[in-house]
Amino acid sequence: MDELTRVRELYGEPKPDPVLKARVGALLEAEARRRLRRPWTAAVAGLAAAVATAAVIALPGGSPGVPGATPTLEPAGRSILLAAAVTAESGTVQAGAYWRVRKLVRQRYPEMLGEGGSRYWMVDRRISEQWVSRNGNVWAGAVSLGAEPAGPADREAWLQEGSPAEWPGHQVFTAPGPSTLAVVRGGVAFSMAGRPMTFAQIRSLPVDPVALRAHVAEIVSADEGVVADALSGLLWSKPSPPDVRAAAYRALADLPNVTYLGTQTDESGRAGAAFSFTLREPSGLVRRTLIIDTGSSQVISSTTDAAGVKNDRVELVLEAGWTNERPSAPHPPG
Amino acid sequence: MTTVSWAGHRGGDAEVVRRSLAESERFSVIFDAYFAEIHRYVTQRLGPDSAEDVVAETFLTAFRKRARYDPSRASVRVWLYGIASNLIRRHHRTEVRTLRALGRHGPDPDFPGHEEEVSTQVSAQSLRPDIAAAVAELHQRDRDVLLLVALAELSHEEIAAALGIPYGTVGSRLNRARRKLRAALGDSNPMGGDHG
Repeated sequence: MDELTRVRELYGEPKPDPVLKARVGALLEAEARRRLRRPWTAAVAGLAAAVATAAVIALPGGSPGVPGATPTLEPAGRSILLAAAVTAESGTVQAGAYWRVRKLVRQRYPEMLGEGGSRYWMVDRRISEQWVSRNGNVWAGAVSLGAEPAGPADREAWLQEGSPAEWPGHQVFTAPGPSTLAVVRGGVAFSMAGRPMTFAQIRSLPVDPVALRAHVAEIVSADEGVVADALSGLLWSKPSPPDVRAAAYRALADLPNVTYLGTQTDESGRAGAAFSFTLREPSGLVRRTLIIDTGSSQVISSTTDAAGVKNDRVELVLEAGWTNERPSAPHPPG
Repeated sequence: MTTVSWAGHRGGDAEVVRRSLAESERFSVIFDAYFAEIHRYVTQRLGPDSAEDVVAETFLTAFRKRARYDPSRASVRVWLYGIASNLIRRHHRTEVRTLRALGRHGPDPDFPGHEEEVSTQVSAQSLRPDIAAAVAELHQRDRDVLLLVALAELSHEEIAAALGIPYGTVGSRLNRARRKLRAALGDSNPMGGDHG
């Protein structure tokens, strides 16, 4: 075997990524429109609009926000976050061999499907589990629950087309898939804004909210939206000790850009206090909404709205904590 | 996954880029034709997480600089590889980290951001860490040429155009890179080190 063949084997064949293609395509479209200097209005729908202007963003379900402005959190929302901090602080350091996060993920397929006049959006639903052992090995479990039409109008169009179960050339299937568990080779156990983090690094995070915010801002080196996102990740997707979770809640209460939306229920009907912030993702500006169970201080859902697309990605946190169970392929819910 | 079917349409690509100056939406034809290939190459070199930004930047850069594209110098495909190569060069540390992971664990057929999509793959290539380390230790210039040959399968002429270097330089850089890889394989595997 010659060395060029070995090089090819080393690198392997990455999978195509239609989701990323759609995102980059939207960026490109936005750039094309920006160059045309067309007037922008909030009525311009789609991801592209928010990415390109960054001046006025109109996100679904909320009033237009102006990045750069620094609204402070209203007292009601602030006191909820501070109370959650107290609850979090009283938590105990959990024992267990594996950190496990189990969630239900609903992700809108990035392209409309269907033919002719009856185009519609489909939403992929899956249970996703991540297991991390104390020594940093990572397993990923997944089971697809099958895709379904995104909303009533989509369902109507889909039914009219004869309720297809799959679409040639698209990775969307209405049938449930097999349940799988895989070792994530070379996987990074945790990350903050794309930067890898270890158990030890999470455990040694500052417990003072001001110091934590400064530390996180330094790690992510990005604007306050990304800082808010990184801090909220410490609340549920990472095995943060109780005092770090408390500090993260307090830091969020002081961040500009965090908005309290009142009580909301997640897609499975669980109620909690909803907070949102906007942040810049590679795809452009998005709004993230977290629903927090005020009784337990646990984050129960994380929803991402792209401009013009509500509920682009919804993650319901089913479990997040330490366990002595061994990694295994996930069971469908219910 | 190389878009062989497009090989016959390179003149057409250049025409699309020219027309996209007046009608920018035409550039989407170029994007549709080459996204998969450029994404593949960048993902191989930088891993799925970092590839995202670089792939986006490659196409945005191409779009912004399309007025300066010279079809007499390079095909659109080769021009895109040139832009991607320039951008990849800024991510040296990520590339080295990716190579270390490839050496240890082998290629990871993961969707970026979809940690649940990972599939298990038996990986038992004892020489893999050596070849990964050797690729990581190459000079950036030599690695660019090596990987444009091995992964992108560009010809010497195309690589010269993509990187803006003389034709003869492509051959000398490639030879140097291959020599170092053979040496690395030979050092750890004296039985099989002297072929190729």
